[in-house]
Amino acid sequence: MAFLLHDARGLERRSRELVAPERRRASRRLWRVDLLQAAAVATVAIAVALFLADGGAAGFADPAGAVTEVGIIAGLVATDLVLVMLVLAARVPFIERAVGQDAAMALHRRLGKPVLLLLLAHAVLLVAGYALTDGSGLVDEVVSLWNTPDIPLAVAGLALFLAVVVTSLVAVRRRFRYEVWHGIHLLVYLAVLAALPHQFSLGGLFAEGTWQRWYWLLMTITAFAAIAVFRLGVPAYRSLRHRLVVEEVEPIADGIVSIRLRGVALDRLGATGGQFFVWRFLARGQWWQAHPYSLSAAPRGGELRITVRALGRGSAGVAAIRPGTRVALEGPYGIFSEASRSRSRLVLVAAGIGVTPVRSLLESASFRPGEAIVLLRTRAADEGWLLDEVRQLCHARGATLITIPGRRGTGWLSEAAEQQGLSLAAFVPAIADSDVYVCGPLGWSEAVVAEARSAGLRPEQVHHERFDW
Amino acid sequence: MRARAFVIASAASAAALIAGWQLGNAVTGAGTTVAASGTQPATSSASSGTDASSSTSSGSAGSSGTTSASAAPTTDSTTEQAGAADGTYAGTTVSTRFGDVQVQVTISGGSITDVTALQLTDHDGRSVSISNRAAPILRDEVLQAQTASVSMVSGATYTSAAYLQSLQAALDAAGF
Repeated sequence: MAFLLHDARGLERRSRELVAPERRRASRRLWRVDLLQAAAVATVAIAVALFLADGGAAGFADPAGAVTEVGIIAGLVATDLVLVMLVLAARVPFIERAVGQDAAMALHRRLGKPVLLLLLAHAVLLVAGYALTDGSGLVDEVVSLWNTPDIPLAVAGLALFLAVVVTSLVAVRRRFRYEVWHGIHLLVYLAVLAALPHQFSLGGLFAEGTWQRWYWLLMTITAFAAIAVFRLGVPAYRSLRHRLVVEEVEPIADGIVSIRLRGVALDRLGATGGQFFVWRFLARGQWWQAHPYSLSAAPRGGELRITVRALGRGSAGVAAIRPGTRVALEGPYGIFSEASRSRSRLVLVAAGIGVTPVRSLLESASFRPGEAIVLLRTRAADEGWLLDEVRQLCHARGATLITIPGRRGTGWLSEAAEQQGLSLAAFVPAIADSDVYVCGPLGWSEAVVAEARSAGLRPEQVHHERFDW
Repeated sequence: MRARAFVIASAASAAALIAGWQLGNAVTGAGTTVAASGTQPATSSASSGTDASSSTSSGSAGSSGTTSASAAPTTDSTTEQAGAADGTYAGTTVSTRFGDVQVQVTISGGSITDVTALQLTDHDGRSVSISNRAAPILRDEVLQAQTASVSMVSGATYTSAAYLQSLQAALDAAGF
């Protein structure tokens, strides 16, 4: 069953424009995405090309040399990918605006294991290759390498990298608090720094006087500079400049609070509805936890608002935050916003606390009356978090509001709605020419996304925000 | 990854790899170019014919090396005016972070007939094996090119640089 709380479907009028401005914007953004992806791939090719330019191909003449050269290439590609991973995690605005933080981090996560395997292959192949060249045993070769300057440091770096990747495997990662995992994850900077000396002292390619040395030096410095500027410098500057303070903590339901924050010159943040910040409440016992929360209202005047459910281990404490607490922030992040629009029609789908970014996006998105439909999975037909606010916005802006209450079914709908044979296409006749924004628990969101894709929507029409870290 | 991104990535990667490959071939080819031109000084050098003792060796061009010994001719020198005097000349000792390197060159009939390593990087087992691999390659290159301006052995950059620097000092001492 589904309930039509506000019907604005009849308000839609034909557009006068032949090509929707959203399509042009999407086309520009997709060019940036493609170029970024191509650039990431090209850096791998450049790493190999620099090796070839140094006459590396000549080493393949004999088997021992070939093993060594493959080992060197593995090391070079791994080095390049580690730098790509650093840049992906650096929240570089250009990347952020093109693909959004969660897509950048998804790629970052996918690269972890391959890079580790490449690094291990680098170590094993070089020991084997050197042993073959020298005609000595593997153990002798290991001992001999261990006594080479900078090698023990590089091995320590490899061990650190192993620890970082293993703690990031999904199964292992769940056992840690976020803060503990993140602490271990920061060791990756030490790992990269520990590996640097052997690259520059032993690697023939990085030798003094070669321009390859300058290339790698430049790449390394760029990656670390991006991290320093965008993950430390910019957030610190913004936190100091905007002087954010908790204005009011308002309980809106059991375990749910809305927090209003006041600050200076907040319009300069450039934040818009649907985006999120990483918040740090500077109170005793709280300051060391960073929380990613979406805005639950479009930024207005000197005010930001978030709505939080006591979900994670850290969120429970957030409800106890007192007005007057100072707040440090990183962001705004994410393209669950106008930035990723590709059509003039808009469909917002949310479940549970996923309503927060949908609520703020509904407020700041551009659409004309009749062009937007909001679908909410709620507990009861007339009862849901922020439902009154969403209803008011739908009235004011001419958006249709439908709630789908009841027990969970097999997919994203309620059991009752499933039995009626309802679907995304049944709610939204013009679904194929709409942008669909989905926010809710991971499995639920994936079900909505899958249905949208099977209804014929292109990838750039489906937008999905992940909650988990 | 979208099709357009795939095409751009493939084109950019292919361009980079082909350029790298070409440059790599040029590097390998450069050794022979040097060899061809390197023979000229040996034949056309109208040297002053003075003995090597007058020219103090300078471990020039070395970025990592320090000069710790000067060259001295160890054997007789004939009074031939053209080209370098026959004899055996030791180069300077060049220190690298992997050990000292010193080579000795034998000149006979106005050309380099032999290069022997008196000392090679021996800081550790890896250095020993690297230098043992690099030395014969460098010797062959030098004997063929008749000059110390030959390409370095990849993977043995420090050894190569020190080897060629010491050799150059020895050749300077010989007036070659």
